[in-house]
Amino acid sequence: MTPVPRFFADYQDRIDGELRRVVPDTGDRVHEAMAYTLHAASKRIRPVLTLLAAEVCGGATPAALPAACAMEMVHASSLILDDLPSMDDAAIRRGKAANHVVFGEAIAILAAFGLLGAAFGTIARSYEPPLASRMTALLSDAVGAEGLIGGQAADLLATDRQITFEMLERIHRGKTGALFSAAASSGALTAGAPGGSVAALQAFAKNLGLAFQIIDDLLDVEGDPAITGKAIREDAKKTTFVSFSGPAGARQLAGELCQTADRALLPFGRRAERLRELSAFVAARMS
Amino acid sequence: MESPPDPRQREVDDLRRQLRSLGYLDAGVDRFVLAPAEGTRRPIGIAWLASVRIGMLAALLLGPAAAIGVAARVPGLITGARDGFVVAAYLGLLFGAGSAAAAFAMCMGASMVVRKPAIHDRRRGLALAAGIAFTLACLGYLTLWWDASTFGERSAMLRSAWTIVPLGFAAAVSVLLGHLVTVTALAVVVAQRSGAVPERGIPGSSRPVVALASVLTFCGALLLFSLTAKSAPSGPEAPPLTVVSSGARVRLIAIDGFDPRIARRLADAGRVPALASMLDSASAGIDVVDTQDPARAWTTIATGQPPEVHAVHGLETRRVAGVQGAFAAGERTGLLRAIAAATDLLRLTTPAVVSGNERRVKTLWEVATTAGLRTVVVNWWATWPAAPNAGVIVSDRATLRLERGGTLDAEIAPADVYETLRARWPALRSEAGAHAAHLPAGVEMEGLLRRSAELDALQAAIARAVTPANADLVCTYLPGLDLVQYGLFHAAEAAAASPSSVARRLAALDEYYVLVDALLAPALDAASSDVLIVVTSPGRITEPAPGMLLIKGDVANPRLRDGHARPTDIMPTVLQALGVPLSQELAGRALVEMFSADFGRRYPVRMVSTYGPPAADRAERRGQPLDQEMIDRLRSLGYVR
Repeated sequence: MTPVPRFFADYQDRIDGELRRVVPDTGDRVHEAMAYTLHAASKRIRPVLTLLAAEVCGGATPAALPAACAMEMVHASSLILDDLPSMDDAAIRRGKAANHVVFGEAIAILAAFGLLGAAFGTIARSYEPPLASRMTALLSDAVGAEGLIGGQAADLLATDRQITFEMLERIHRGKTGALFSAAASSGALTAGAPGGSVAALQAFAKNLGLAFQIIDDLLDVEGDPAITGKAIREDAKKTTFVSFSGPAGARQLAGELCQTADRALLPFGRRAERLRELSAFVAARMS
Repeated sequence: MESPPDPRQREVDDLRRQLRSLGYLDAGVDRFVLAPAEGTRRPIGIAWLASVRIGMLAALLLGPAAAIGVAARVPGLITGARDGFVVAAYLGLLFGAGSAAAAFAMCMGASMVVRKPAIHDRRRGLALAAGIAFTLACLGYLTLWWDASTFGERSAMLRSAWTIVPLGFAAAVSVLLGHLVTVTALAVVVAQRSGAVPERGIPGSSRPVVALASVLTFCGALLLFSLTAKSAPSGPEAPPLTVVSSGARVRLIAIDGFDPRIARRLADAGRVPALASMLDSASAGIDVVDTQDPARAWTTIATGQPPEVHAVHGLETRRVAGVQGAFAAGERTGLLRAIAAATDLLRLTTPAVVSGNERRVKTLWEVATTAGLRTVVVNWWATWPAAPNAGVIVSDRATLRLERGGTLDAEIAPADVYETLRARWPALRSEAGAHAAHLPAGVEMEGLLRRSAELDALQAAIARAVTPANADLVCTYLPGLDLVQYGLFHAAEAAAASPSSVARRLAALDEYYVLVDALLAPALDAASSDVLIVVTSPGRITEPAPGMLLIKGDVANPRLRDGHARPTDIMPTVLQALGVPLSQELAGRALVEMFSADFGRRYPVRMVSTYGPPAADRAERRGQPLDQEMIDRLRSLGYVR
């Protein structure tokens, strides 16, 4: 398994600590279900992206931590919903049984909504109204019909059907790109970054997000479930990037997307070194 | 042997193209435009913020390019790097504001159109249409701008090379700005419907499409340019001028405000013998064309070209704030005057006096100097700044400099002539005063007449002081008669003058003709081998008499009376007298009928293709400029309001 960059550990610790504080496992069933997925072992790429975006724009990590946690909570919520029998019907997630397998479908749905609400609540409580308002709108777009929900809906409709490349992109943009983009933007916003910096980070996240998804598709075909933490060939019924270009072509395009993401960081110079390491890590997952 | 293309690789290439069209694999310029609109939901807000960025980019790209075009089109405006920078900044602001306004209008237009149900699902097409429309408008304007700016290029080769690069630049800028308008329009129309800036790709942004659009745009620019290109004269470089001289030296005296009817009456009365002698020599009436502005009229005479070619359109020009050079305002219509007044009020422009920097063609003395002749010019309009290496030039600002003293600011060239004149200045003033003292006491408006007489006498004295014995051409401009005539009959108080006062003023004018006659007399006394040419203009009066061209000397044809001349004929006629070949580009012709048959037989008119543009040598300027003093002087003389 490709190790995450060494600097990740520190960020992961801070994020995990904050997540445990915001969503403690109080023992009741819903809290337990929320914590089960949220606190499961994860690379925390999205919240780390938020913290790095804040840093590259001159912001402080503590100020960006609530936003980073909100991103992870939304992500965990989307994972619970995605795995439901009515959706992808996946049994394994983050190296463990999926949430609905352990807690039942009803509790899993409630846990997902609990995490979603906690994400918005964290934003609202942690930032001044103007910034909170902007970030709430950002998160709402990332979750909504143009984001995660729209992507998942398109994905479901595409199952067992031949879809176009544009449709595939639409699915990935919603399911992965939207939250990557929101994670980068929210980090920059907490640092009070100007529009140009926010846009540069969005370009970075957009390209990196798609590369991430293409590599996921590749790992689904070629990966080891012991390493990836989820069953392989799960997407056999679906059209993926690999369907369009073959594994070699997908690998090539993912590499180009990572390079483009790096180019988007040019305005930040050496300050963006860790973001480049993140991009290199994403690219290395396929090697 | 070439291997067949890998079908898998073709698929990857196709996917890459699609990804680009969807906005991936691009870390580029789109975010520059939409970045300020981040977080803005209202279409008008997105359109405004993004259009400002488009305007900024257009300013950056087009300002310097347009400054190059303006430098070619408005000679005299840009006198150095600083001027170029300032003009580029002004034009950048202009183009930036224009581009931003156009982009804003197109985006808002698209947002209004998209409200129609039939257009709902054509947002990308609508955005693309806005971008294409902007590209075409931008390309058309840039191409026509360049076409207008380069009018007058002489060399076809240079014109071709000089054209391809800016047209390519115009095409690239148009495609880029058009793309940005597409980006913005798409964001606006999506926001109009869903309230979110789109993350979808931009139509028409894949590399093959951009490449094809660039090629098509460039071809379009070439086509438009070739369809609209003016038939600018194009010929070989200026050939060397070979003088075939009769040995005659030419003395050209220009008298402004001259009325031949008065001169004839006084000649018949025996009061102006020198003028009478001239009137009895070869003479031709000059068409009265546009003599109200002396700088324009006398530059036409000196260059043999109409104002639209020589580009000295008026005495009064405007200097743009921060720019050393000036530009002519052209015909001063009421609207232009109002604009000039407004920009003056805002301190964006200041009034200035026309200079030789604005002139696009050579004067007769510059041509003669190029041909190797020794020339002197005194007090001719628009001769400041005095160019180096163009003979002796005592410019229209020289008298002011001699009065004020101090370091030269290109009022006189060569610089040692200034030292000579400074040393002799008291004597010259005294000589001029003595001349004016011949004015009868008690004459109407005696002060005006005395000042004018001194001014005329000073020019004549300066001409004598600076003219070397072997000078081939001496040109002297005498403004006094025009000043007197204007002061006597066109000043405010003249309009309300009583009949008896008018009679006294007419008598005073007669006295002034007598003084002019006295100034002319020494030239007539010169050796008969010299050619004395007197050219007159009716000046600034509203019902002018015709001008006159009078030639006296061995080479003149004394039997020619009442010939016909145009203002543009004077220069070639003077150059023909000197034996200098004439340019085919001149608007006028040499009046060979004014020369004797023998002269015409021995010295036929010879032609060359061109005299070339004026020398690029810049006059050396060190002293304090006399700009404001010159304006004040001209205002006091009634030239400038």
